Amino acid sequence: MHICPRCESNRSEVVTRSPVKGAWEVLLCPVCMFTWRTSEPDSITDPAKYKSAFKVNPQDIPNATHVPPIPERVQRRS
Amino acid sequence: MAYKDFRDFLHTLEKEGQLLTISDEVKPEPDLAAANRALNNLGDKTPALFFNNIYGYNAARIAMNVMGSWPNHALMMGMPKNTPLKEQFFEFARRYEQFPMPVKREETAPFHEVEITEDINLFDILPLFRLNQGDGGFYLDKAILVSRDLDDPDTYGKQNVGLYRMQVKGKNRLGIQPVPQHDIAIHIRQAEERGENLKVAIALGCEPVITTAASTPLLYDQSEYEMAGAIQGEPYRVVKAKDADLDLPWGAEVILEGEVLAGEREYEGPFGEFTGHYSGGRAMPVIQINRVYHRKQPIFEHLYIGMPWTETDYMIGVNTSVPLFQQLKDAFPNEIIAVNAMYTHGLVAIISTKTRYGGFAKAVGMRALTTPHGLGYCKLVIVVDEDVDPFNLPQVMWALSTKLHPKHDAVIVPGLSILPLDPGSDPAGMTHKMILDATTPIAPDIRGHYSQPLDSPLGVAEWEKKLSHMLR
Ligand SMILES: [Zn+2]
Repeated sequence: MHICPRCESNRSEVVTRSPVKGAWEVLLCPVCMFTWRTSEPDSITDPAKYKSAFKVNPQDIPNATHVPPIPERVQRRS
Repeated sequence: MAYKDFRDFLHTLEKEGQLLTISDEVKPEPDLAAANRALNNLGDKTPALFFNNIYGYNAARIAMNVMGSWPNHALMMGMPKNTPLKEQFFEFARRYEQFPMPVKREETAPFHEVEITEDINLFDILPLFRLNQGDGGFYLDKAILVSRDLDDPDTYGKQNVGLYRMQVKGKNRLGIQPVPQHDIAIHIRQAEERGENLKVAIALGCEPVITTAASTPLLYDQSEYEMAGAIQGEPYRVVKAKDADLDLPWGAEVILEGEVLAGEREYEGPFGEFTGHYSGGRAMPVIQINRVYHRKQPIFEHLYIGMPWTETDYMIGVNTSVPLFQQLKDAFPNEIIAVNAMYTHGLVAIISTKTRYGGFAKAVGMRALTTPHGLGYCKLVIVVDEDVDPFNLPQVMWALSTKLHPKHDAVIVPGLSILPLDPGSDPAGMTHKMILDATTPIAPDIRGHYSQPLDSPLGVAEWEKKLSHMLR
């Protein structure tokens, strides 16, 4: 388990490893959907150094605006 | 002049000195994006970049900035690479009038070489990477997406081929941003009203003519494939998808087939956009990928997008200007000379026109606001006389500085629609718009002192020829 640099949830998982062994892994956070590579600069990978303007609070995610809104089901006559 | 496929175009770029191969090892982040951003800063004649030695990968090959300059745009059209922009515009407009050119159907395509239907993992298949520091993840941003109108599936033109950013959000999941002004939003709505998934196909690494047609603001029922045929001067080659009745570009490197999941929204973004600002994080539709096929050792195409100018601006400059030009000509066939809507996808548009009487230019500006593209863009419309080249900004600035009287010539129309990505719109999707009339007043508008315009010394045209010959 890894800490997501953006929303700081601890549920991130490895989605791929570098074809050349040991170079990097790519991680994905299932809470905020953030993706990062372990070889990226620490301003991306380190929760403490991740830019504050881009931090995401997990509690806000369920309230995110729907783009576009989900339309009502329409019954069609056949 | 059609290019057979993506590799054929890259080969042309190489032959013309417009492809730069980077064989030194680069890091996926931040090198790929940084190199591309730096290249965009170096002017408007830059080459495409080809990376073949990327840290952690064995055989990944990535092409970027493929259409990121005016020479590359000219080569896309099969014209000499030093063709001036204005000439590219008029040639594009000429070919646009050859629309529609029916497609040519094929049974198989090179991308059928490798097929994956089990345990799809896009992070393994594609060398994905981050572009800008605040991006929420890795994106496909130069892939075309094909979908069909569900109410009228038999009208060929209503099959849509569009360019949309897609965030890779799982091994077989993508997030897509359907801006309401774009056709994909109509298809998703049709499917969701039925409670059905919408079948889609995504093509990566296409030759540039279909990418250009996909990013042209065509009318809803105009086919991008039939426009691609018109632009390249011969029928566009397509092959059927396997899981849906959708046409795919024959020359693509990679195809993803899948479906937009009805009623699902998931957190997506932000992404550094063509406006030079990040889009916020919003809950957007999700695409599940069920089938992938690709050429052996596929070349992954990607573009850097961010503060203008980037490849996006070259790619959607001329092809945004031409539909506006044609639609304005429909209304004013004897007056409209040329349209430059190259700035931030036409948020600013410059129109060169003849004027018939006082106030005419303002009517031309109003018409631009009500064209299909104008409804989502054209926040600032500058109208100039017929002798001002709208692609020559010093000339446009001259017209603004000498012909415009702010009291009479600045018109603000309140409360109009704009694409929600415009960071100045408030609320998102709403804005005032402005027309600046920088044409010379004519009767009955008798303002100003314009009876003595400056002319050139006699014989300038002959000297231009003579000197340009001597300077060769
Ligand atoms: Zn997270």
